[in-house]
Amino acid sequence: MSRLDRTRTSPHQLRPFFSSQNLLNRADGSAQFDFGGSSVICSVVGPAEVKIRDEKLDRATIEIVARPLVGLPGVKDKTLERNIRETLEPLILSGLHPRTGIQIVVQTMKEDGCILSTAFNAAILALLDAGIPLKSILASVTCIIDSRTNQILLDPTIEETTHAKSTHVFVFDNKVSISSINPEDVAMDEDSKEPSHTGILFSDSTGLFTEDEFFECANACFKAAQAVHGFIRTAVSKKLEKEYQQTRA
Amino acid sequence: MKEAEPSTNEREFLLAALKDGARIDGRNFYDFRTLRLSFGSDYGAVEVQLGNTRVLAKVSCEVIKPYPDKPTEGFLMFSTELSPMASSAFEVGRQTDEEVLVSRLIEKAMRRSRALDTEGLCIVAGEKVWSIRVDIHFLDHDGNLVDAACIAAITGLLHFRRPDVTVVGEEVTIHTLEQRNPVPLSIHHIPICISFAFFDKGGCVIVDPTHLEEQIKEGDMTITLNVHKEVCALSKAGGIPMELDQIIQCSNIAVVKVAEITAQIQAALDADAKKRQVSRK
Repeated sequence: MSRLDRTRTSPHQLRPFFSSQNLLNRADGSAQFDFGGSSVICSVVGPAEVKIRDEKLDRATIEIVARPLVGLPGVKDKTLERNIRETLEPLILSGLHPRTGIQIVVQTMKEDGCILSTAFNAAILALLDAGIPLKSILASVTCIIDSRTNQILLDPTIEETTHAKSTHVFVFDNKVSISSINPEDVAMDEDSKEPSHTGILFSDSTGLFTEDEFFECANACFKAAQAVHGFIRTAVSKKLEKEYQQTRA
Repeated sequence: MKEAEPSTNEREFLLAALKDGARIDGRNFYDFRTLRLSFGSDYGAVEVQLGNTRVLAKVSCEVIKPYPDKPTEGFLMFSTELSPMASSAFEVGRQTDEEVLVSRLIEKAMRRSRALDTEGLCIVAGEKVWSIRVDIHFLDHDGNLVDAACIAAITGLLHFRRPDVTVVGEEVTIHTLEQRNPVPLSIHHIPICISFAFFDKGGCVIVDPTHLEEQIKEGDMTITLNVHKEVCALSKAGGIPMELDQIIQCSNIAVVKVAEITAQIQAALDADAKKRQVSRK
């Protein structure tokens, strides 16, 4: 079945990824992440000075600022900030930088569905770029259950979301060894490797769905997230390679 | 987070270089940094890079009820909040002086110069008008935010297309982008801001200052002009006093710069229009 955006052929296909790191000069780290027509840019400053009011004696304070593409920041952006903060806080080894602040700014650049997932992936790339010590790396994928066909569609566009019965956002860490799972392998032996969901960092579902549907979504997103993990890994290694060559030259 | 002042060494090096007729990034005094314009996939999304300064403008529209005293006037709004992404010195929810100045200047340059025909935004007098909103996002701050924001805003407005409407009696139909070709906004002229920074008691004038130059400057001035050599706004908020003929000299430089920038905007818009036509076929 062809998807509504006409570029994809399978319901489990993701849109093309794009990422670019270290694109801003003033921030300590920055990254852009795209899922097809959705694009989020993220900047990281820190560990740096923090307001005394926000200072924590045993760890770094993590502040997230989310800014919408159109209009003033509202409830939606506050939710986004909260979701990202609560997912990233246990991931960042903030105990290494007590009494400092790490500020992460998330700016939507293009909106075509899955903004939360795009923001998660942009944030982790920006944190990597800033050299903030992390416990593990996350990857996020969104899926919907189509109300007309009851099919799980991964990485939906805005148009597809309008027909959604329920929407599920998942974030997985890379504790399940990423080197053993190639994005190509995942596509080939889909059922042989039963994923363990010990690595779910965040899950947010809205709408009506059954328990079975939820686990089905989690499984589909987990497999897709391995592709995102692989992409993040390549992006970072390519960037480091380039930097290494530049320092040698 | 407070911003660090430039060190004495940086300051003295910059001033010594300027005395020798050189700028630290290798430009001449009257050179603009490289300007890059890129368009998003939807109408009205423009990213402007002026050297290392990066600004994103997004134009959007909605239908609202006009003010009762101006029943045929549409709205044009700008949102120019400086986000901490551009520089950690900007805090969320607290306006800095710089932010007030930037937003006032953009407002004066674009709205008060009547660049956009707001009467043309009327759908049904006293009932429905278009409200055009320009969100300007500052992504990276390396000086001269005003010029970059101004270029982004006007290019966004020129690139933007609003949905077509038909009015039959009292019935108003707004056609989606698929049903009918969207229509461009009617723009009277293209105002462009050119900023100057002064050093050495006004003896040294430079165009398009970087962030370091802005921190060390003694005074500044922004002239807003269009290609027809009409002055739309002129702002000199504080700083050292200027000679009258220096202002004339600055505006002469600005005329040349405005012509260059306008030509570049037009070329970028034409290239984008061509690309869209090809992809539609």
